[in-house]
Amino acid sequence: MTVTETAPATQPVLPAGEHTAPGAERDQAAEASPLIEDELLVEEISIDGMCGVY
Amino acid sequence: MGCAASTEPGFDPARPYELHPDVALRPEPFGALAYHYGNRRLTFLRSPELVQLVTELGDHESVAASMAALGVATERRPALERALASLAKSEVVRPRSDGAVRAG
Repeated sequence: MTVTETAPATQPVLPAGEHTAPGAERDQAAEASPLIEDELLVEEISIDGMCGVY
Repeated sequence: MGCAASTEPGFDPARPYELHPDVALRPEPFGALAYHYGNRRLTFLRSPELVQLVTELGDHESVAASMAALGVATERRPALERALASLAKSEVVRPRSDGAVRAG
């Protein structure tokens, strides 16, 4: 059985404070937040070769 | 493993689509399972919003009109369009050639 992801998985977002000055954390988080909305909505599985009743 | 980061070529949200007649949808807590009796592909639809959209595509003149009728937020539409594009590629949904709205 093979599993094929046909839509992008959730995008991991780096901690806002990493590689940034403390004062820039809030702005970085605000800019990054739309990126985490791209979630896995569709996942396809090929069941060729499986035995059973369907 | 394919990448559906962009909309599949040929998928046009301005066109009318419908659930493929060879596909059975089974409601699940996460959304639905779609089984295609022709190509024997099993597809997980992992969003109730996407399931509702897929089931109601045939009631509207276009994908965009379906989203508008369901009140899909503007920022959610690109992700749903990418999902529908991959569903069209898998023949879970198909374009309606006549453009007619489903009766009933």
